Amino acid sequence: MSKSSVLQRKRDEGTTSGATEHALPDNRGRRQQAEHSSSSTDRFRTGTQRIGMKLGSLLPWLAGVIFLTLWQLRFFHVLLSLEDYQLPVPSAIAASIRENAEMLFRYAIYSSTEMLGGFLIGSLLGALAAMGASLFANSGRAVVTVLSALNAVPIVALAPIMNNWFGDGIWSRIAVVSVITMAAMAVSLFKGLTSIQPQYEELLSSMAASRKQFFWKLRMPHALPSLFAGLKINMSTSIIGAIVGEFFIASQGLGYLLSDQIRLANMPLAWSCIVIASILGIVLYETVVLAEKRLLHWSRVHSEAK
Amino acid sequence: MFLRLLKPGYRAWVMIWIISIFVLWEGLAWTLHLFMSPQQATSRLPYLHVVMESFFRHWNTLAEQGSVTFGNAAIGFAGGTLLGALLALLMSAAVWIERTLSPYVVSSQMVPVIGLAPIVYGIIHNAEWARIVMAAYVTFFPVIIHTLKGLKSASPQHLELMRAYGTSWRARYVKCLLPSALPGLFSGMKIAAPLAVTSSIVVELMGAPDGLGVLMVSSLYYGSAQAGMFWATIMLSMGIGLISYLFISLVERWLTPWQPEFRPKGGEQP
Repeated sequence: MSKSSVLQRKRDEGTTSGATEHALPDNRGRRQQAEHSSSSTDRFRTGTQRIGMKLGSLLPWLAGVIFLTLWQLRFFHVLLSLEDYQLPVPSAIAASIRENAEMLFRYAIYSSTEMLGGFLIGSLLGALAAMGASLFANSGRAVVTVLSALNAVPIVALAPIMNNWFGDGIWSRIAVVSVITMAAMAVSLFKGLTSIQPQYEELLSSMAASRKQFFWKLRMPHALPSLFAGLKINMSTSIIGAIVGEFFIASQGLGYLLSDQIRLANMPLAWSCIVIASILGIVLYETVVLAEKRLLHWSRVHSEAK
Repeated sequence: MFLRLLKPGYRAWVMIWIISIFVLWEGLAWTLHLFMSPQQATSRLPYLHVVMESFFRHWNTLAEQGSVTFGNAAIGFAGGTLLGALLALLMSAAVWIERTLSPYVVSSQMVPVIGLAPIVYGIIHNAEWARIVMAAYVTFFPVIIHTLKGLKSASPQHLELMRAYGTSWRARYVKCLLPSALPGLFSGMKIAAPLAVTSSIVVELMGAPDGLGVLMVSSLYYGSAQAGMFWATIMLSMGIGLISYLFISLVERWLTPWQPEFRPKGGEQP
């Protein structure tokens, strides 16, 4: 038992810190990567290597610029024998964003309301379910297993059901997003709440801690990294949920505009929906990452010491 | 009372919860039928037994369309997994490739990749290929991210020991790096499997000629008359998602039995 939970915890911490490391290559991430490369190549950090590292941080930008330039110069069109009306060039997409800026902005606000509403409701429900389930040994674990089946449900199957229940207004998409985010949060938080090293449990029970103290002093702080891991997963699924939900029946939103413009074969505007949705996704995700950094600085210090 | 006497174990509790969900469903449908007209109530939530009945009545159509969707999703899923795993291996072998690609791979997690489904269908205009490409595309990124994480989780001490013994790179991969990458690969696949099914259904919604998505939309148009059929398509798509998830979990258990969650816990029978 002890061995398995320790290992599981290690894995959890790996998953929680992994995304932040890559997303924001701050000093810690860079140092870790440097350590990684030095242990895999040689043990000396020379000046040339440091210059190489600076070049290394430029590489992604370079690759992006090359990719966009090739696209603009219709390299992919030649390669895959596509026409402009099938795959618009970046400049056409940019022009279309500029032309329709007002509408795109309005729809982006509408879609992000759906995302955030569903995200908050779903994460809250999932967190409550996980907390409740952590109080019961077998039945709680079984509840989480049954809930995790929701993870495997294709989002498209939920969208029409929620349309039937909540009408074609904004609430149906909020409901879709809540259902899919609830499951992920319940699974992630439950794992954090229950994978506790037995030594801590023994310490607390030797001090005659009450069940309440057990929960708030040991389980909750220990589960906070998993809580944020769940929030990060949910942020990205909520965007997919909102967009796919709007594919079905909607009169506003980025997903609606996207499917509508494709029917009208107006590809530049359809691509601008994707671009805007991606920017929205990255901004919202980074907000969660920032919140985690602010609130969980102790966890990062802890994992650095290890 | 009797629960306390019997002390049901974990599996029994799973069954209890599933049965109680079914009971709750029937109860809710019954309550809806009390307060609403039959049409309204059926379009909201038809009785479970009605759904089951139409599921078996239309089994031939459902199986046919479902196998179209599932087959294409599975091909795309396999291709995406293969490509993703290969690229993850490349990225772990050459630091500069990882440096270049990792920001894009990571941000792909935050971006609604499924949104591209209608665009891909617009470009390819062949439902079968569009489904395969989309399924491969949504599988690709989770598999890369998690396989790379797995490859990096290889213990540096083990690698150093192997280098000290002068092992070949092939032995290093076969004996150390690949085994540590497998759990990551499987968790990526488990995330991607439902997404692959979703993405191929989304392609069908955009006007493909066949598949579960088409069946879903056409039965939705008929309202309460086809409500049983509609719910049956939804049950089938959920079932496909779940079965593919469970199948991957089984393969994972079989190929990587050393993972902590698969070990028998203290006092528990394996």
